[in-house]
Amino acid sequence: MMLLKLAYRNLWRNKRRTIITIASVFFAVFFAVILRSMQIGVYERMIENVVGYYSGYIQVHKNGYWKEQTIDEVTPYSDSLLTWMESKDQIEQVLPRLEGFALAATNEVTKGALVNGIDPEREGSMLKLGEKMVSGSVFKASDKSVILGSGLAEYLKLSAGDTLVMLGQGYRGISARGKYPVAGIVKLSSPLLNDNLVFLPLAEAQWFYGAEGMITSYVLDMRYSDNVPKFARNMKAKMDTAQYEVMPWQEMMPELVQAIQADSAGGQIMLFILYMVITFGMFGTVLMMTAERKYEFGVLISIGMRRGQLALTVFFETVLISIIGVITGLIGALPIVYYFHLNPLQFGEEASSAMEEYGFEAVMPASLDPSIALTHAVIILIISILISWYPTFVLARLKPVEAMHV
Amino acid sequence: MKHLLVGLLGLILIAPLKAQTAKDIITQAEEKLRGNSSRSSMTITIVRPSWTREITTTSWSFGTDYALIYISDPARDAGTVFLKRDKEIWNWQPSIERTIKLPPSMMMQSWMGSDFTNDDLVRESSIVNDYTHDFAGDTVILDRECYKIELIPKPDAAVVWGKIYSYISKEELLQLKTQFFDEDGYLINVMDGFDIQTYNGRTLPRKLRMTPMETPDQYTEMTYEDLEFDIDVTPAFFSQQNMKRIRP
Repeated sequence: MMLLKLAYRNLWRNKRRTIITIASVFFAVFFAVILRSMQIGVYERMIENVVGYYSGYIQVHKNGYWKEQTIDEVTPYSDSLLTWMESKDQIEQVLPRLEGFALAATNEVTKGALVNGIDPEREGSMLKLGEKMVSGSVFKASDKSVILGSGLAEYLKLSAGDTLVMLGQGYRGISARGKYPVAGIVKLSSPLLNDNLVFLPLAEAQWFYGAEGMITSYVLDMRYSDNVPKFARNMKAKMDTAQYEVMPWQEMMPELVQAIQADSAGGQIMLFILYMVITFGMFGTVLMMTAERKYEFGVLISIGMRRGQLALTVFFETVLISIIGVITGLIGALPIVYYFHLNPLQFGEEASSAMEEYGFEAVMPASLDPSIALTHAVIILIISILISWYPTFVLARLKPVEAMHV
Repeated sequence: MKHLLVGLLGLILIAPLKAQTAKDIITQAEEKLRGNSSRSSMTITIVRPSWTREITTTSWSFGTDYALIYISDPARDAGTVFLKRDKEIWNWQPSIERTIKLPPSMMMQSWMGSDFTNDDLVRESSIVNDYTHDFAGDTVILDRECYKIELIPKPDAAVVWGKIYSYISKEELLQLKTQFFDEDGYLINVMDGFDIQTYNGRTLPRKLRMTPMETPDQYTEMTYEDLEFDIDVTPAFFSQQNMKRIRP
């Protein structure tokens, strides 16, 4: 304890040097946390848009559906399975859906579309169509009408009240044909979904595809999204895997996971360079400090202070500097991160259309994930501990007489 | 006596030469199936390992250029009509009130989920005009002596097959079996004709079964419930207007 006090006092003997070192740690933490929060924020947003508001964190299909994704791989809707799944603590609701493809046509234009048969009442918690309505209103479960993504509606030049014709192939090669009034138009945040989605009431979708009583997927609306793969594995263990497959979103959308990993690697290289610069900056000051205080160290050792104690004091000094730097860095970064979390960066016309082409929504929110701050605080501490090996090493070999002989 | 022998020998040698060419046989077999004009009721059964489905149709034809197919069952497809005029194929969908022209690229796609293609149904390509024909030996199918005829598509014909073997009975000129090969010589589809019946004076196989070789446990069977020839229709019957009006 005395050593700690000594270390603290030592820090303020040379204020300028200490402040410079603290400043370098401060900027390292400050930039690392802001950069990383922005990057991870974009990924979180993307996952939330696609997974949280559309596909769900876990889906249950007929075994083999996801590989083929054709309308022939449907499974009969089972009330007992749905009730069993809803009895789990982690599951808020289970949403039955029938998904397929069809050509969406008007008199002039035709476009391939993703058709999704949904239960409008249950989907209130997941798709939240009501909140995303641009015009019109949400259909009822018994209606025979469609809701379009606004990108698709724009392409087809349709507005609420117009008629959409859909053509496709249904269950077991039956011809799927239908003519539907547009009940509403929604703005979905994921550009990919917004440009391609047509929602139908589940019963009408089943009629359209000639698959009465069938669904393609049970979408699990989770209460909390931690440990999704583990929860999926546990569920799988309790289900008939010959009949059903239980898939967490990471398995359903490996391309999303990979896109994030690839992009994230770029950010990590940036951080690595930043840390290299900081490491040498800190090492420089410690090197200087050790050289400047050689005389003092010599005196302390010759009047009887143990080398170990002295080394520990110097070690505490470095760690204290890092801790102060980390804390001030976090205090500096967090309000900015929080600000951008609430007010995501918006992009200009060109940049946003480029981003949307890659399927990213053109906003850059910051993540509030506490693990980001924690990770970078720990990294800086580890770096400072590594650096403090140098003075320890010097002290171990210090010859007091030579050190005092200036 | 000697002259007579030579004459007889000559007759024996010449007789086969005077007989029909492979093309004649194919032409006659086609005419036999189609007549000048025809009206037929068919049930098409699609058989898959786990399910089967039936489609009921009525169709009219006039020569090789005009055909019209009306679907009366299943109920959800009732009223759907396919029309062929020359090289064009039109599809009327009453549920969406749209007439769709089938592009040539769709001709080889499955017809209503069956193993028949759109092309098989309306016979856009002609096995008489788009191929060269040659005898390739004789066989026996369903206790009938058959010609085996090899059809090779002409270089400029819009045909996907690399080769077709057609087995036609010698006596009644029935198409009892057809084997479709791709460009690499692999057998893709086999069509079998069986259950020989007589319809209004013409003997024909009642059932045609198309089996894709890749998935031999599935097939599609066409059964002629009724067949009439030389009926009273004109090319004017095969119009886009009539397509929307017609009832069987």
